[in-house]
Parts: sequence; C-alpha cells; structure tokens
Amino acid sequence: MALKAFATPGPLGDGWLEWDYGMAEDDLVERLLGIEPGSPLAALRLQREAIRQHAQGAWRELVLTQVPGGVSSRERAAIALAVARQQGNAALLAECEALAAQVGAPPEGARTEVLLRYAAMVAEAPERCGQADIDALVAAGMSSQDIVAVTQLVAFIPFQVTLLAGLRAMQEEARA
Amino acid sequence: MTRFTMQEVGWEPRIPPVEAESATPEQLAALEACPPAQRRSTYFLTLAQDPASLGERGALFNSVMYAPRGLPRAERELATAVVSIVNGCVYCTSVHARRFAELSKEVEVMERLLEAGLETELSPRRRAIVDFAAKLTREPEAVGAADLTPLREAGLDDLDLLDLIHSIAMFANANRLMQSLGRSVMP
Repeated sequence: MALKAFATPGPLGDGWLEWDYGMAEDDLVERLLGIEPGSPLAALRLQREAIRQHAQGAWRELVLTQVPGGVSSRERAAIALAVARQQGNAALLAECEALAAQVGAPPEGARTEVLLRYAAMVAEAPERCGQADIDALVAAGMSSQDIVAVTQLVAFIPFQVTLLAGLRAMQEEARA
Repeated sequence: MTRFTMQEVGWEPRIPPVEAESATPEQLAALEACPPAQRRSTYFLTLAQDPASLGERGALFNSVMYAPRGLPRAERELATAVVSIVNGCVYCTSVHARRFAELSKEVEVMERLLEAGLETELSPRRRAIVDFAAKLTREPEAVGAADLTPLREAGLDDLDLLDLIHSIAMFANANRLMQSLGRSVMP
C-alpha cells in the first residue's frame, strides 16, 4: 500500500499522512474491487479518466489531506469509518478501519460526539437535517469551512459505495 | 399531489455563502472548476467555504454530468431525478426533472414520474434506467449482474452503463450536501 502514516505531529498535534509519490497515485476503487490494469473494465474507466482522477482527488482532499485545517486527520478518519460502517460496503469499511487505526482516534468528548452524530444524520437521513444540527457544529467550535469539509466528507462515502456497487455488478456480468 | 415539482424551487443555506467580491484566490479557483452556469449560485458559493473539496468535487460533478458521448444527457438527468426522488431532495428533483424535460421534450413523462411515482408506465429503456437508479440508491449492496440485464436489453453499452453508474453515485453525494447544508424553499 502506498499510504504511509508518520508519527511526527502535524500543526494540530495530530497524526498526519503522506503519500509515497515515488509510486503512481493509489486508485482506491481499482484496489478495492481488484480491477486488473489492462482489463476491459480498467480500459473502460480510462474513457472517463477525468472522473477516475477527480473521484480519487476528492477522496485525497477529504480523507487523506495533509492540510486538514480545522477538521483534524483523526476526526476525518473517524467520520469516514462511521459512515462506511453505516453504508455497509465491506471493502470500504476495511479500508476505513485500517486508516483509522493508522492515524488514531480523535479525543473523546463533546466535539467528537457532535461530529459523529451529524455524520450519522447526513449519511442515513439527510432529509431530517435542520438548522439546529448545523448550530450544534458551530457551538462545538466549527467554522463554516469546517462544516462544509465535514459535510463533503460524509456525503462522499455514499458516492464511493454506490460507485463500487455499480462497478462490482459490471465485473460480475463480465465473469458470467 | 406529491411534494415533488418541476417548478423552480429555492434553496436557502444554513451557513453563510462566500461573497463573490471577498472570495480568496483559492475559493475563486475552486469555483472555476464548477459548471459555468452555476458558479455564482448560492449553493456553489456555500460549498466554496472549503475550496479544497469544492475543486475536486466540482470537477467530478462536471465530468459526470457533461462528459461527451456515452449515455445521452437527458438520461443522466432522468437517473439523477430518480435518485433525488428516492432520497427525498425536493430541490435537486426540481432542477434535474426540468433538465430532463428540456433535453428530452418528454415533459409529460417527468410529470407522471413526479405525480404518480416511479411505478408509472414507461418505455422499456426508461423503465430499465429508473429501476436501476432506484435500486442502486436504495440497496447498493444487493445490486448484481442480473440488475444490468434490462439495461443491456434496452441497448446500453459499456460506456452508457458506466455513465449511468457515475450519475447515480454523484447524487448519493449531491442530495446529502443539498439537504444538510441548506433547505428547499417551495415556490
């Protein structure tokens, strides 16, 4: 795996992540589904190369960012893990478990509780979100930028889960 | 009557959007990656609060919805309208229902989908797209090769199918952003 975690503290005293740029950038979807380079599905995905790149780019910016800003790498990993667990894709869940184990858990307390409660609501029942849910994040010390980052992160996991499920069906079809 | 409509629904953010005049260079660069018609919308200006995620996600959205060839744009819009109905996003439904109607000229088909629901009578190709979009949204882990058969029988090739999957996945994301960061305002 190209992903490496370093013990050196980042600006927020949190674990931080670095890519080994000596290797081609990881493609999470390809790796989780075991899509072989040169296979018909790999070739098909190259016809939508921009989508492949920006899907990986969004994952990198949201989950693996080296500039986590107001939402720490530990908080990001914990949110990704909680949403992956709720969404039920085994491969993505295992990936998020490994990541969370690498970076470590965020501190226990009110802020983490508020974050995870919000993540669960956006993932499971976004229709039920209200101003009070956003205000709870503000009260926990989160800026507008932090709130957008957290929401983008939560909402990106269902994108991945849906994409993985659709591509997995295409793999099954090709094997049949 | 259902709560879904093709009329213009408003969207009101729950956090302050970025002001175009005082946006940072990073925020402006991220907005540049978004569909041109939407760069000044309240929704994109709200997402611009976090430029790193908007840049990648905006470019992703653009490619999914507008990449040339492959699945006709009207059918990408049909799929995203169906996903938005399943997820209960009144705002996204109204926008993408209108785009489908404009591109396909099948206003009546969309009206029935909104009023009578997803089970309304459709051509085999529309039926296959609607059923797949609904199932991949409701129970992604239950989807398998058999669910692709009606789409293949309706003439979708590999690229069409990949575009359909991308469109459905994009709205698992878009519906959640839209419903949590703000609320739909009925006309």
